[in-house]
Amino acid sequence: MGIDKVEAGDAELVRRIRAGDIGAYAALVARYRDRLGRYAVHMIGDREDAEEALQDAFVRAYRSLARCDDPNRFGAWLYGILVNRCRTTGARAARRRRLFVRDEDALNGAAHSDSPDRVEWADAVGRALAKLAPEYREAFLLKHVEDLEYEEIAELTGAGVSALKMRVKRAREQLQRFLKEAEHV
Amino acid sequence: MFERQDEEDIVERVVRELRQPVSIDAALDARVMNEIARPTVAEPNPVARRSITRLWPWLAAAAVLGAILIARPWSHKTIASDAFQFVLVAPQAASVSLVGDFNDWDPARTPMHAAHGGVWATVVPLAPGRYRYAFLVNGVEWRADPGAPAARDDEFGAPSSVVTVGGRGT
Repeated sequence: MGIDKVEAGDAELVRRIRAGDIGAYAALVARYRDRLGRYAVHMIGDREDAEEALQDAFVRAYRSLARCDDPNRFGAWLYGILVNRCRTTGARAARRRRLFVRDEDALNGAAHSDSPDRVEWADAVGRALAKLAPEYREAFLLKHVEDLEYEEIAELTGAGVSALKMRVKRAREQLQRFLKEAEHV
Repeated sequence: MFERQDEEDIVERVVRELRQPVSIDAALDARVMNEIARPTVAEPNPVARRSITRLWPWLAAAAVLGAILIARPWSHKTIASDAFQFVLVAPQAASVSLVGDFNDWDPARTPMHAAHGGVWATVVPLAPGRYRYAFLVNGVEWRADPGAPAARDDEFGAPSSVVTVGGRGT
C-alpha cells in the first residue's frame, strides 16, 4: 500500500476546496487523520505534541494547497508536510528533555484492553522506539509501519535510498537489542 | 510472559504492535476547520501601499534597464528600514503574487504589480527574521527567486527562496 494509491476523490475534493468550498477539506482531514495521527504519535512519542503537529500539518496543507502540484497525490504531499512537522516538534520536545511516556489512552484502547502483558509489551515497544535516533525511528516507521516504498520515503524525507535502507537496518537491530536488554522478549 | 519469543521475529511483533490504531482526539477535525476558517488580513498594509505608489517611477526606470534585470533578476532590495521590495521579471505573466511565511502563503494577500518590461514588483514590510517565499505566476506556476538563496527546508515540494532580515542566520 503506497501513499500514492490514494482513495478516489482526493483530486475532486482539492478542486472543490480551491474553488472556495472550505467544507470539502473536512473530508480530507477525516480521511487522513488516523493514519497520519498514528505516525505522529509514534514518531514524537507524546500525544499532545503529536496532535499539535498533526493539526499544524493539516492547516499548513490547506493554506498551501495551491502548491500541491498533483491533487491525486494529496496524501503523499500531506505526508511530507507532516514528516517535517514531526521533525520540528520532535526536536523541540527533545530540547525540553521531555521523556517518552506511555500513551495511556492508546494502551487502554481496544487492542490492549485484555491483557496486562500486552500493555507491558506495548510499553516496552514504545520505550525502545523512543530510544532510537529520530532519523532511524522515522525511517523504520515509514518503511515497516506505514508500509511505504523506499523511493516514497526518499521523496518524503530527502534522504537517499541507500541511506534509508541503512537506517532501517540499524533501527531493526537496535530495537531488538533494546527489547532484549529490557527483558521483554 | 513471552513464551513464543524465540520463535517469533521480534521486529515483526514490534511492527504488529505499532500498526494498532491510535486514537486521535475527535475534536482535532473541528480545530483544524476552525483554524482554516479564520479570516485572514485581506487589506494590503498601508505602509506597503504608500511605498508602492512611490515606487512607480523607479519601476519605470527598471523597465528601461530590462536587459540588466533579465541578466540578474534579483530581488528584496531594502527600500526602507523595514520595507522590502520584491521584483520578478516575467514578461509573459498575466499575474504574479508574492507568497511566503510572512503572508501564510496566501496568493490573494500580496499580488504583485506590473510595470513596463515585464517587471513585477511589490513591497512588504518585514520584521527581523528568516522568511521563505516564492512567486506564484498566473496562479499556477511556482517560481523561486532566481537571485536569492534556495530554501533547503521547503516542506511543500515546490521551489522557494529565503530572505533574512536583520542579519540573522540563513
